[in-house]
Amino acid sequence: MMSGLTYDDSFSDQNILRASGLGELQPCLGHNNSAELPQMSSVNPTSSARRLKPLSLASMAGQSDPQLSLLSAPEVEFLAEDEMVEIVPNIKMESLNMICGDFGPFFPQIACKVPLWLAAALKKRGKCTIRTPEWMSVDKLTQVLETERETPREFQPLPFHYIEISKLLFDHAHDDVQDTYMVRSLIEDIRDVRFHKVESGLENISGRTHAVKLKNLSAMEVNIVRPFMMRTLQAFYKHDNPQIIQQHNISGRKQPQVLTRSTRNLRPR
Amino acid sequence: MPDYYDMDDIIMEDQHIQVIFQVGANGVGLLDPGSENNSVEKGAKVELPFWLAHELQLRQAVSIYLPACFSQKTRNEIKADAACVNLKVHCPYFYELGCKIVPLVSDKTIGSFLYETFTSRYLEMLSKSHSASVLTAPKFLPRLSKEEIQLFEASRSSMMAFKKWRAGGSRLEKAPVLGRKRKTTIPTFPSSP
Repeated sequence: MMSGLTYDDSFSDQNILRASGLGELQPCLGHNNSAELPQMSSVNPTSSARRLKPLSLASMAGQSDPQLSLLSAPEVEFLAEDEMVEIVPNIKMESLNMICGDFGPFFPQIACKVPLWLAAALKKRGKCTIRTPEWMSVDKLTQVLETERETPREFQPLPFHYIEISKLLFDHAHDDVQDTYMVRSLIEDIRDVRFHKVESGLENISGRTHAVKLKNLSAMEVNIVRPFMMRTLQAFYKHDNPQIIQQHNISGRKQPQVLTRSTRNLRPR
Repeated sequence: MPDYYDMDDIIMEDQHIQVIFQVGANGVGLLDPGSENNSVEKGAKVELPFWLAHELQLRQAVSIYLPACFSQKTRNEIKADAACVNLKVHCPYFYELGCKIVPLVSDKTIGSFLYETFTSRYLEMLSKSHSASVLTAPKFLPRLSKEEIQLFEASRSSMMAFKKWRAGGSRLEKAPVLGRKRKTTIPTFPSSP
């Protein structure tokens, strides 16, 4: 799991909200659907009193930390297949009783909700047609794209796995999607715009950043930036730390404060 | 100690540093190539690996010189344009070494200098790494220090994996064991009519 950063206990929600007025990247609550993908949040606190303690060593040598594990893209796709979609079967079938749940008896032309993996399997055998989710219409996507372009700091709410769901639908059920090419290009554009926002947000990271909060970022996007962002934050943390010690050395009387701070950081998590 | 098992840390500490011996040392004449007898005199300038220099400094036996990569000349180079400086030539573990040296040397400005260098190079690296084109990378990579390379590779590999996934293809891969052709020793007979 994530072995980059942990929070100090005293980092209360109040501080997040107070500092959020001055934050750079959008300081909002994170959006977390799945427990497997770690959450990232970014706030720029004005008070320098709180320091994160990285679980791995506080150094750029943490770059070679093998615990910065990555879910590979097919794995994220696999997780995305648990999302429910609506299908319209064209056969009659009794209910499927599986470990993850029961999927009700299927009657021809009666819509029902099943997980995406089941929908793809049925579609491959020609037993159903998949109904596109309502967020995947040309109008909605155009609207999302417009708002994405207008707000340079925020991400628009989109389904957590929109990239994977759209890819799977295009692969298996492209005849069920209206205006396939339009939808496809719109999703590509949305993805590009969002990714550029992530990049430009990354430019603003300084040593003071304790955490990065990215609201409404989707699973695949999180997966792409995760190793880079964690390493960057570790590196910045490492580089800012000795500076503080140096500044305190120059103005010698603050020495004891440095000591208490470091012992506080060593508190076991 | 968390640093103990880290591979890069071990390699980094093996870098050589110039030190000046504050005391005479007997029996370690190997360290000083210019000594005639088997000892190092006080005031001799020797190159030692960092881990040794660190320990001896704690015992007040040596004093450490600032390595060449932090000299004024390099600093001016870096201040001019941080992104273009070839750090690998100077010292592949630039940042690590700098951070370790900070408490040992009397120069107080190293920390902030490292920080500024890293910040400016980081911005450059950010843009390059995510575009992930095959052409830009080889020109840029030799200039990075080891730590920066890891950062770079992390983002690039995840980007490439994503692109590969995006391009599609079967999710099942053929196991590499099956790829090898085997020679059958059984001779084939012509089929009888």
